[in-house]
Amino acid sequence: MTNHEHERAIDIITQGGVEDIETADAAWLQSHLAICSECAEYASLVQSTGELLRSVAVTASPALVATAQARVHARAEQLREHQTRAVLIAVSFCIGVLSSTVSAWLWWRFGGWLAGRLSLPGSIVEPGIFVAWLLPAIVIAVAMLASSRPVLDRSVTLAVLGEREGGRQ
Amino acid sequence: MVATAFSSLVPMETEEAQIARGLRRRDPDLLDALIEQYQHRLLRYLLHLTGNRATAEDLFQETWLRVLEKGHLYDGRNRFVTWLMSIGHNVAIDHLRKRSPSSLDEMKDPEDGAPFEPEASDPSPFEVASARQQHELFDAALSQVPPLFREVLVLRFQEQMKLEEIAKLIRIPVSTVKTRIYRGVMALRPALRGGTQ
Repeated sequence: MTNHEHERAIDIITQGGVEDIETADAAWLQSHLAICSECAEYASLVQSTGELLRSVAVTASPALVATAQARVHARAEQLREHQTRAVLIAVSFCIGVLSSTVSAWLWWRFGGWLAGRLSLPGSIVEPGIFVAWLLPAIVIAVAMLASSRPVLDRSVTLAVLGEREGGRQ
Repeated sequence: MVATAFSSLVPMETEEAQIARGLRRRDPDLLDALIEQYQHRLLRYLLHLTGNRATAEDLFQETWLRVLEKGHLYDGRNRFVTWLMSIGHNVAIDHLRKRSPSSLDEMKDPEDGAPFEPEASDPSPFEVASARQQHELFDAALSQVPPLFREVLVLRFQEQMKLEEIAKLIRIPVSTVKTRIYRGVMALRPALRGGTQ
């Protein structure tokens, strides 16, 4: 008997029970098991293992199921809220970008109009007005970068948040 | 008649496809139904994987939370139970990594004497005694099997999964699944022979 035959027998035994085994293979296995005690023992062990593993039932308690369902519901609600918040933030960002672009364009146009009215060179007034419009944001950004501490003190932040909270109530 | 003609043209949506669609929507009713349907199988798998009832119950809940979060990744092409077990497998592995034990067996509480429960259906005293004996035999035999082999044995013989499904679930080749089954069965041999004598 060759190793190949044992391997084939073990392969077929392993597949048995769940996978479909061809009739020819099943017949060959039966003839092999009749003369090979090792493989016959393996087949018997596989059967015993299956019976043993299927003999004991493990059941989930109703409390466990109810807890799992409640946690899944709570998490689903949480995820839904996060999703809604993310959509709101995205929409706010888009509106912010759009309004900034439109106002920048309007300020630029205003610079051109002012330059025309005052007979000044547009190439200076237009960028000048634009920079003046941007100046507060630039100053704050530079101050924040330059300062090692937060520009807004924690107490100020808390006070602002408190006012907002108070305003809501 | 129109409906009949239409249904003959459009293939019926499979159960897996319906589940995939519901999971993408994070449908709570579908999840409730899935938890009800697969509660015992999932818990049984996690229990055999960890060997500890309390840990298995924690991982059971974590698995369902992950099903909710990763539900959009299920494409409905494979059986849902296979995907569910793979999620359970990953949750258990993550749990192990957090605790960093050297093997799954370290998760087993030595004082946890009865992690496996028989079905509650008012059994007779004889059935109780018999079940307890089977219990002890089962627990003792299975505890001797290394976790890697125990997992494939449970998936194969309890969950009746195909070799390809197990391979996909654990992400190992089919040949390795066969080897693990063989080694697992052979590891059970002393206990099985002892129990039958």
